[in-house]
Amino acid sequence: MLFKLAFRNILRQRRRTILTTISMAGGYLLSAMSFSMIDGSYSNVIRIFTEDETGHLQIHSKDYADKPRIYKTIDTLNVLNETLHAENHIKSFTPRTFAPALAYAEDNHAPVQVIGIDNELETDTSRLREKLASGQWLTAQPDSEGYFDALIGQGAATSLEIGVGDEIVLISQGADGSVANDLFRVKGTVGTRRSQERLNVYLPLQAAQPFLSLGPNQVHEIAIVLDDISLTDNIAAALTETLGRLVPDLTVSTWPEIQKTFYQSMQADKRSNAVTLGIILFIVFVGVLNTVLMSVLERTREFGMMKALGSRSSLVLTMILLETMLLATASIILGILIAIPVILWLTHSGFSLPDPVDLGGVPFSHMKGEFSARVMLLPAAIIYGYALAVSFLPGLRAARILPVEAMQTH
Amino acid sequence: MLRFILMVLMSFPLQASESDSALRAVELIDQMEQLYRGETSRASITMRIETPHYDRSLSLKAISLGDESTLIRIYEPRKDRGIATLRIKSEMWNFFPKINKVIKIPPSMMMGSWMGSDFTNDDLVKQTTLTEEYDLNLREEDGQYIIILTPKTDTVTVWGKIEYIIDSTALIPVEQHFFDERGEKIRSLTFSEPRDFSGHRLPSVLEMLPHNKTGHRTLVIYESLELDPPDVAADDFSLRSLKQRF
Repeated sequence: MLFKLAFRNILRQRRRTILTTISMAGGYLLSAMSFSMIDGSYSNVIRIFTEDETGHLQIHSKDYADKPRIYKTIDTLNVLNETLHAENHIKSFTPRTFAPALAYAEDNHAPVQVIGIDNELETDTSRLREKLASGQWLTAQPDSEGYFDALIGQGAATSLEIGVGDEIVLISQGADGSVANDLFRVKGTVGTRRSQERLNVYLPLQAAQPFLSLGPNQVHEIAIVLDDISLTDNIAAALTETLGRLVPDLTVSTWPEIQKTFYQSMQADKRSNAVTLGIILFIVFVGVLNTVLMSVLERTREFGMMKALGSRSSLVLTMILLETMLLATASIILGILIAIPVILWLTHSGFSLPDPVDLGGVPFSHMKGEFSARVMLLPAAIIYGYALAVSFLPGLRAARILPVEAMQTH
Repeated sequence: MLRFILMVLMSFPLQASESDSALRAVELIDQMEQLYRGETSRASITMRIETPHYDRSLSLKAISLGDESTLIRIYEPRKDRGIATLRIKSEMWNFFPKINKVIKIPPSMMMGSWMGSDFTNDDLVKQTTLTEEYDLNLREEDGQYIIILTPKTDTVTVWGKIEYIIDSTALIPVEQHFFDERGEKIRSLTFSEPRDFSGHRLPSVLEMLPHNKTGHRTLVIYESLELDPPDVAADDFSLRSLKQRF
């Protein structure tokens, strides 16, 4: 009965109802699209980010991630190899060593970061191999003259004025405090002059470990790529437990922990987007509030009559809330009908950016949306919430009305 | 007039004794710095570097000429054999045989560690200029000379204060404490276990203890020390001799 009453009430002023519905449907469409774009572009960026170099999980020795020192090593690569192979949901993993070094070639020198990588496993875990700009990928064996291969970043290549086939001298500090020094042969260059690996020098692990006076089972990092990024937290917890029993003093970190700055700026950006959206929706709903208020004021006499005939205050309030909710439902249905094709288009084609953004050496040129339950339902929930909020005050006012006074108004 | 002469006369001995003590301090420090060098010297040294993360032992041979030239070569461990350091006046070079490269140590690296030890490159170069850059204040206490070195105004020095303690009977160094400009003790060098080297009795063990790095220390142990060997000559100290294989 109440439902019927509310339904009839909104049909009394059709034009007003239609306009309000459209404005709310517009609000829904706007927020659904914006959620879709934000989630979409961020999951794209996260994918690029994690697959580029970081991986979904990383294992380090204790606090290496915060305070990297050459001697803070994982000393049991063999044990970890077995454990990680046995773990489900791990797509690939790769060990790495890091050390700052000074590179020399002829009379030039440049500060570089020496990264020891497994020439086979690295290919499955990061995009480094795709970034090969010239020359060839590393081999694990020294060449006929006894030199190991090195891949150098474009920045180092430029400032040292060397290219494929040239010699590069690296000087660093070994894990035992000795001066690490050796000659390597440039096998290829990676990235561009502006990408983040521009000052990196990659060595095969087999060469980097003796260079830094590390043993064959000593590395600084193991990067892990999972079957799916959503498994990150679960696998991190599982690994922490398994490894805690086998090799103490290891830390398993997830990509938001490793790329803290990136993750936090992403979260901040998401929050600021939410605030902007909230303000826009607020403006939409000030309009809706106006409508509800009007329709309540208009019917003051009616409400007086209802109460005089014995309706309880709660009934009047429920009726007004119901009216707005019906309107909101209609708007959301309309909004979803429009939003589905739009968001599907955003998800499948998206639009290209006029200037591709370089994200860690990987060009990011296409903005795409995301189609998910979150994208569709969260705006609906927001619309309902706002609708309830704006109709509550006028509803309360109508419910509290004194029949005598109400009947006297014209 | 008489009063003036009297005043001059009275002040004179006082001033003289003050500069006497300063002169004595300069003399003492120069003497200490000279102890391990002689006119020429040849030493076999074991350097033990201890840290919480690794221990390392180097076996070195060093020759010196006057207070201007030093050449140090690493013999052990095998991996580092052939690495050498040459110092001429205030310039310093390292030679790495594996990459066949001589690298000059830039002024900015002078306070950097020498081969991962707690001794800085500067320790190998600058020690002898102590008396030029610092004002000295000498006092005698319990059979020890205590010389306080404070930077001369208008000189840029590495340390804010150095306390140099000398055994006044044996005339050998006992301890050196290095302070920063805030008066905080940064590191201490302790001399112990005197032995006879070429007829001189000298502490054979030097221990460098940095106070800001717990668990770190470096021991320099003189296995042998020949003072004034006749076969050390000026042409042993050149970039060419630095690169010589041995």
